[in-house]
Amino acid sequence: MPLSNTPPIHQAKNRRLVLVEPESVQERAAPQTDWSALMASAQDGDRNAYRALLTQIEPYVRSIARRCFRHPADVEDAVQDVLTIHSIRHSYDPQRPFIPWLAAIANHRVIDRLRHETRKRAREIELSPEHETFAQAHANHDGIAERALIEAIDKLPPEQRDAVRMLKLNEMSLKEASKASGRSVGALKVATHRALANLRKLIGGGSTS
Amino acid sequence: MKTSDLIDSHARSATPVKRLRPPFVRAAVWLLLAAAVLALLALAHGLRPDLSARLRQDQFVTGIAATLATAVLAALASFRLSLPESSRWWCLLPLPAVSVWISTIGYACLTDWVAMDPDGVRMGEAAQCFATLLLTSVPLSIAMLIMLRHAAALRPALVSATGGLAVAAITSFVLALIHQFDATIMMLIWNLGTAATIAALATLLGPTMFSWIASRVPPLPPVS
Repeated sequence: MPLSNTPPIHQAKNRRLVLVEPESVQERAAPQTDWSALMASAQDGDRNAYRALLTQIEPYVRSIARRCFRHPADVEDAVQDVLTIHSIRHSYDPQRPFIPWLAAIANHRVIDRLRHETRKRAREIELSPEHETFAQAHANHDGIAERALIEAIDKLPPEQRDAVRMLKLNEMSLKEASKASGRSVGALKVATHRALANLRKLIGGGSTS
Repeated sequence: MKTSDLIDSHARSATPVKRLRPPFVRAAVWLLLAAAVLALLALAHGLRPDLSARLRQDQFVTGIAATLATAVLAALASFRLSLPESSRWWCLLPLPAVSVWISTIGYACLTDWVAMDPDGVRMGEAAQCFATLLLTSVPLSIAMLIMLRHAAALRPALVSATGGLAVAAITSFVLALIHQFDATIMMLIWNLGTAATIAALATLLGPTMFSWIASRVPPLPPVS
């Protein structure tokens, strides 16, 4: 049934849409007079009618999504989200106009998505290239800080230096380090503790104890 | 996934579905279920012994009438709000009945203030009330969640809040007809406390529950 022939109540509902729809979409949507009939057939299980309907409404839904999202991927996600009308297609009543039903769902889904995005932005930070890490270990090192640390370790007394190298740099367990150095676990723990205290002083500008 | 692929997959899985009946019919079905729950509880437990005497008191009658009106209007608002193109202002529909309900409780509280004493709190009665509360609110909440699961993709928070109010009001109505509160403090705790708890739980958990149910219970096929 063409929109121009619809009863006054349908016209009133469609006129309300002018507030939210871009003009070009209205023009494009107006010829789609049989969306309501297509949906009614789809509810009865007509797959071709359903495919035709979804293909025809996609540009309309995309125009609504484009008003809220700029990035093409976000627009695509929003369009696919609105196509969840699939799961609630039984809530459409063929006695009522189709476009207000679809527009209401599209607005709800898009607003929901915007809320979700805003919440996500509030608690997550997007990584910039300098935050990225690389597979090769040396690519991730900050050269200056690393050199300062190696020089500071070299200045430590021998037993502390060996303990730090084994336990921290080579990531050996206390047991492995004890076996390799022939020193007790307790002695290694004490040496590491003192070494770290000394490193803090050295890097902060002090001298070893 | 490309949108065209999604359309294809939706089209392939488009089985016939049963259209929703008008919201007032669905609200009526839910209220019939509530009436059935009340009838079963009345059969199993019996109505309160002083019901005929209480029904002659204006204050009691106003109170339960307001509770029932809240339940009916909140259920209707909830089923109406679950449809995409309905105005969100439908959520105000139960407001007049809720105001009268809260006013009657407040009035009872003011006039019977002196009747509140520690003896009024009886744990035996409280345990029975709790059983009635669960037997009423749990099945009705589950029924409402299933009947309104399509609201998951639309406005779940508003639908949960009004649905929760309907369940809370029905529960309060059933409690008032079945249990005898001889102390105002108990009436207050049960009436206001349970209603507030059910409505708050529905508002908090409703949206999640709707999504959960909607993902597991697909639209029904038409009756052939």
